[in-house]
Amino acid sequence: MSDAMIEGYARALFEVARAEGTLDEVEDELFRFARSYESSDALRKALTDEHIPAEKRQAIVEDLLGGKTTSTTIQLVSMVVGSGRSRDIPAIVDSLVQRASSAKQLDVAEVRTAVALTDDQQARLKAALENATGKSVNLKTIVDPSVVGGVVATIGDTVIDDTVRTRIEQLKSRL
Amino acid sequence: MSLYTAATLAAGHLFPGAEDIPFDDKGYTTVNPILPPWKELVPGTMASILVFTLLAWKAGPVIRKSMQDRTKRIQQELDDAASAKTTAESEATRIREAQGDIDAERARLYAEADAQAEALLADGRARLATEIAELEARAEADIVSAAGRSSDELRLEIAQHSGTAVDAIVRDTLDDAAQQELIENFIARVGASTGATS
Repeated sequence: MSDAMIEGYARALFEVARAEGTLDEVEDELFRFARSYESSDALRKALTDEHIPAEKRQAIVEDLLGGKTTSTTIQLVSMVVGSGRSRDIPAIVDSLVQRASSAKQLDVAEVRTAVALTDDQQARLKAALENATGKSVNLKTIVDPSVVGGVVATIGDTVIDDTVRTRIEQLKSRL
Repeated sequence: MSLYTAATLAAGHLFPGAEDIPFDDKGYTTVNPILPPWKELVPGTMASILVFTLLAWKAGPVIRKSMQDRTKRIQQELDDAASAKTTAESEATRIREAQGDIDAERARLYAEADAQAEALLADGRARLATEIAELEARAEADIVSAAGRSSDELRLEIAQHSGTAVDAIVRDTLDDAAQQELIENFIARVGASTGATS
């Protein structure tokens, strides 16, 4: 899909969520769904399989998100899946998050950890990142077992990496 | 009838025969055992003279010519033999000279062959020495290369096993407390800094 089309979808989702007054929630839920989509082969295959009718793929989305997210999030994801753009969900959502953060004059801080962060840890981490970068950040956390341990934060072009995975890779390089 | 036969018949008619010579009762004559009786001697001598005269007259020139021809022929053969001997001696001299030349040529060829063989041997030795040196150098390089390669492969294998072992050990030792500690350390370190770290 072209960047213009991705931007078009992202703008549409952004406008719908903002009009609904659930932008923060929808943005966060979409972000989590996009990361799940990226990390799950089964989900990716199910939502991109052309042999499965669009209605059935939308039903999968509703079953998966039903009761866990807002109805706006479910409808937006269902709309993207129904239009045959499942492959572009991560790019669309990232663009939406970027757009939402820009609207709030925030920079997106993507944080990956091996285990989930508590609310307190997220708050302190957000404050620490804002202190380190001098920017207001929109913190997006991702549980990514591949980091093994520690934290890696990406804010624009800045990467703060203190993960066990990186240390192991460095050790392997030295070996 | 030949002349000799005619002379013999005439002599027989002129002189009486042997049957007229007296014999004694013992069976042999009493005349000279060496000389024939005169009746035989005279006509016999005359016949012989006649025969020899005729022979000398008729056959003498032929015999003399034959003897002269034979002498000439023998002389010719002697001359030819002398000439052949001279030729043979000349040929022998030439052969001896050629033999000498052949010996000299053989000696020269032997010397030349020896020189060439020596040169070839020296060249072969030099080339062999060079090839041996090259082979040794190549073998040493191969050994060094193989050793280095083995060392590299061993090092790589150790690194791979070490990496795998480190990975496994770290994953096993990272319990929840360790994870929380890492996160808290990160928050503290980032919070303490005032510039971005990449």
